[in-house]
Formats: sequence, C-alpha cells, structure tokens
Amino acid sequence: MYKIEAIIRPHRLEAVRDALREHDLIGITVSDCRGAGRQTAPTHTFRGSQYSHGLEMRVRIEVFVDSTHLALAVDAIQQAATTGEVGDGKILVFKAEQAVRIRTNERGEAAIN
Amino acid sequence: MNAIRTLLHYKEKNAYPTPRRAMSKAEKWKFGLTVFAGKFIGLGILVMLMKIGAGLFSPAQAADTYTAHETSMMNSINTAWTLVAAFLVFGMQAGFVMLEAGFARQKETVNVLMECIFDTCLCGFLFWAIGYAFMFSHGNGFIGTHWFFLSGAPDTYEATGIPILAHWIFQFAFADTCSTITSGAMIGRTGFRGDILYSLGVTGFIYPIIGHWAWGPDGFLVTMGSDKNFLPMIGQGFRDFAGSTVVHTIGGAVSLAGAIALGPRLGRIFARDDKARGGMPPPHNLTIAAVGGFLLWFGWYGFNPGSTLSAMDMQGIGRVAANTTLAACAGGMGAMVVAFWFGNTKGKFDLGYSVNGFLAGLVAITCPCYWVSPLGAILLGLVAGAIVYIGVNFLEWLRIDDPVGAVSVHGLCGIWGTLSLGLFATGQFGATGPTGADNSATAVVKGLFYGGGMDVLKAQFIGSAIITLATFAIAFAMMTILRKLPHPWNLRVEEKGEIGQGGIDVFEHGIEAYPPQSM
Repeated sequence: MYKIEAIIRPHRLEAVRDALREHDLIGITVSDCRGAGRQTAPTHTFRGSQYSHGLEMRVRIEVFVDSTHLALAVDAIQQAATTGEVGDGKILVFKAEQAVRIRTNERGEAAIN
Repeated sequence: MNAIRTLLHYKEKNAYPTPRRAMSKAEKWKFGLTVFAGKFIGLGILVMLMKIGAGLFSPAQAADTYTAHETSMMNSINTAWTLVAAFLVFGMQAGFVMLEAGFARQKETVNVLMECIFDTCLCGFLFWAIGYAFMFSHGNGFIGTHWFFLSGAPDTYEATGIPILAHWIFQFAFADTCSTITSGAMIGRTGFRGDILYSLGVTGFIYPIIGHWAWGPDGFLVTMGSDKNFLPMIGQGFRDFAGSTVVHTIGGAVSLAGAIALGPRLGRIFARDDKARGGMPPPHNLTIAAVGGFLLWFGWYGFNPGSTLSAMDMQGIGRVAANTTLAACAGGMGAMVVAFWFGNTKGKFDLGYSVNGFLAGLVAITCPCYWVSPLGAILLGLVAGAIVYIGVNFLEWLRIDDPVGAVSVHGLCGIWGTLSLGLFATGQFGATGPTGADNSATAVVKGLFYGGGMDVLKAQFIGSAIITLATFAIAFAMMTILRKLPHPWNLRVEEKGEIGQGGIDVFEHGIEAYPPQSM
C-alpha cells in the first residue's frame, strides 16, 4: 500500500482526476496550498506598488493505491499534470503501513480498493 | 379569446379605484382646466357636427393653453424628474458590476469590474462626442447628422422642454447600460485591449446609430407606417417606451455575437457533453450577485418611469412604476417555479434563475410598461421568467458560454417584451407628453388580446426583427475581425492569460480580487 502525494498546478487538477479515473482510481483528497520552488514568484501590482508573496497557489492531492496500481497512477499524474514550464510540481510516494476503512473496519488493501 | 378579453377588461376597471382625497392646488387647477376644456370640446364638437357635418368629423384633443410661467414651472419639474431618473439609471452600473462579478469565477472578477468601469468612462466621452449626435439629432431615417460634441444643439430637446444636457445625461446612462450588458456574456476570456476595441464600436456606433432608428426624431422605425415613410401599409410606428429593444436587445445581440466569436472559456464543459460534470461553473459570490440584482431592480425605477421625461404625466409614471414592479415579481416567480419543475434544478429553489428571472421580467416590461395594465404586466413577466429558463438551457445546448445569462435575459426577453406590447396593450393609453398624457382615440395603442387586431404586433415584430438582425450581423462581423487581430489586440486573451497563475485578473490587471494577505 502506498500514498501518492502530488503538488500540481490548480488548472491541471481536472485532467489529473480524469487520468486517475481511467485506472479506476476514484478516491482522492485535494487541498489548496501555497508554496515556492525553483520558479520565480509572481508579482502583483496595486495602485502603483508592486508586491510579491514569494508563494504560488498550488493544489496538493493525495491518493492511496496498492502496489499493482502504483506505477500506473504515478505515470498518469505525471503526464496529466505537466505543462513543461518550471513550477509544475512534485510527486512523492510513501509506503503506508496500515489502512482502515472506518465504516466497515476493513483492514489492509481491502480498505483502499 | 372573448372570455380572456372580458376578464382583462374586468380586471382593468377594478385596478384603478377612484381616489378619495383632497386635491392639491395644482390638481384642482388642472382638474378645473380639464373640466372647462372638456365642456368646450363638447361644445366645439356640437358646433362642428352642425356646421361641417358628420362626414368630416374627427375628434379634437384637449387644447390646453398655459402661461409662460406655468410652462416654465412644468419644465422645471419635468427636468428634476428626468435627472432623478438619470441618476437612478446610472446607479444600475453598480448593480451590473455586482451581478456580473458575483456570477463570474473568482479569477475573472477584477476583469469584470474593470471592464464595467472602463466602459462607463469611455461611454461618457463617446456619447458626448458622437453618440448623442448619431442617436438624437435630426438627419435621415438611419443616422443623425448634427450636434457633434453637442455643438449647435438647442437649449431644450425637441418638444420635451427638457434641457439638452439633462436629456444627454439621461440618455448617456442608457447607452452605458447597453455597453455594460455586452460584457456579461464575454466574461473570463476577453482580452482587455480587445474589450477597448469592441467597446469603441458598440458605444460609439452600433448603439447610437441603430438606436436612432427607433428613438431618433426621424428614425425610420419611428415614422414607420405613416405616409411616404417606411412600410406605409402597416399603419403603426414601432414603439419602444424605455428600451426593451433599443437598450436590451441591442446589448443582448452584441453579447451573443461576442460569445460566439470568442468561444467558451478554457476548461468549460457543456451539459450535453458530460452529464455529470458539465454545466455552468459555480459562481464565486452569490451574495454579491443577489444584491446586484436588487440594485438593478431599484435602478429600473428610473429606467422605465423616467422615460416619460415628464412628471406632469402623473398617471403615466405611477402606472409604469407599478407595472415595472409587477413584471419583475412575476418574472422572478416564473423562473423559480419553472426551474423547480424541470431539468437539473428540479426540486430546488434556484437563486441564479430567480435573479435572472426578475431581471427578465424587468427587461420585458421595459417596452410595453406605459401601455399595459397591471394584470398584463404580470402575465408578460411570467412568460419572461420561463423564457430565461429556456434560453439559458438552449444556449448551453448550443455550446455558447454565457457566464451571466446576458443573452437570455437581455436579448431574448427584450424581443419578447417588444412583441408583448402588440398582445397586451390595453387601448386606454396613448402617448406621454410634457404637459400630460395624450390618451385621445387616435393616439391609443391597442393590442391583440384587447381586440386591437394584429397591426401593433406586426409593427413591433418588424421593428424588433430589423434591429435584432442588423445588430447581430454588424456585431458579429466586428467581433470576428477583432478575433483575427494579433495578440495582445486580439478579442480573446492569450491562453497563458486564462489558465496561468491568478488567471485573467493577474495577467491583465496584476492583482487578484481577494489577494492573499501577509501583513
């Protein structure tokens, strides 16, 4: 069992969800986040003053998969989220020790499929 | 049909109970004059019948004569009324920006606000320089050719007794309304330089020139039906009391042309392509949208009653204000109920449809407000509410992206309102005027449902069709050309401007509507 955590551009979210759905991966957790990376941060202007927070809006998604789906899911996210510009984000994979479906108390892979 | 007519007449009689209260001095004076004049008319008719004979008889209008002082007093009051109305109509701009910003997505909010502000400023200049001249000066049936930069204009406008600059600001507010409507269906993907270019075309040329046809002193649709003018066999001129066609249909037709030329916003999925996810993207602030809708409703009390340009026509302005209210109520109710019964909103009391519904009722009553009864206003408002529901879904089916519903509300209901005059005009009311209403037998307007036959309906249909088609054709040609220009002057913003960081707001204006706060 693995947890895939990816930080992507907000407007690629729909494409990433579509790509995951093709592999029957429905479950997903999405949160808005701000961060900085190698890209230059955007500058805003208002009444003559320029300012920059040094942080850009991104979306963080978390997906739980079993080992058979891991490579498929990572590839799907990578292909759907890329634009080729600096700042497309990262995909991180973590090993998950245990999973429990709260409603039924199923354990292990049964809980995430 | 007879049953309906009887019913309408019955309601009509009961709608105006005789007021039982003390009359003011002015009213007494007017009442006395009217009675006095009435007696003389009766006497005059008797003399005419005896002397000339029944064959040559035609009803004479009450020939009131006023002293110079009385005329000046009346003109002052009329001007104050017109200016109050102008300020109310201008207040509709606040309603428009709130409605459009509320229905838009968050990342196009600054763009919407900025377009409305820019259009207003530009409209002022253009309407001063050429717009008012094209629209309201004498010329030919197609275009006015005098008063450019307001130079050479007379002290007062035509026979209204309203000072030319008071009339100008009232009409400027109308022109501004039309130019703001157009931005509604083009939200989220129009480049700002593209907006500048098309606004020049709409407020400088399309609105004033086509408006001249229906509202100019010698427009060919005004004089339609009379001898040696356009279509003399119709026998009726085109009537548009406050602008269902001139303001709203023109605005709606331009916005439709713009929405088609632009194409949908990137990532917009239409309902027929994907049942689960398709449809209008969620609005970003419904509170702002609802308040904006109410502000528009409030502003409409200047739009319609103010279009009498005369406070002396007190029955007229009261009737217009009441009809405006009732049509709006019926429109909102109609759209809510229809949306509750059908489609994706089945079983839900939908806010978006209700707001657009009462706006649709207001648009529809704008043309016939002077000539219909309160019951007629309710009926035509209900139909307008249903039209909004059908129009929004039809545009969605055609894959045209109209974020605020401007085409359905202003375009389709503008057409419906214009036609509805030919159906619901009661035949009791004629023309407004600076000293009072002219409800003589030759001036009254009678629609199909009240036994007036098809004449008025035909005239309304011809006028509405000519203006709608001409506006759409010209606007579509203009938008298509603008769409072919190189960036950044292209009508549509570059792709990175639409989907980049912060969307079109940051790309064109450098800031988001709700920027992150860090200090």
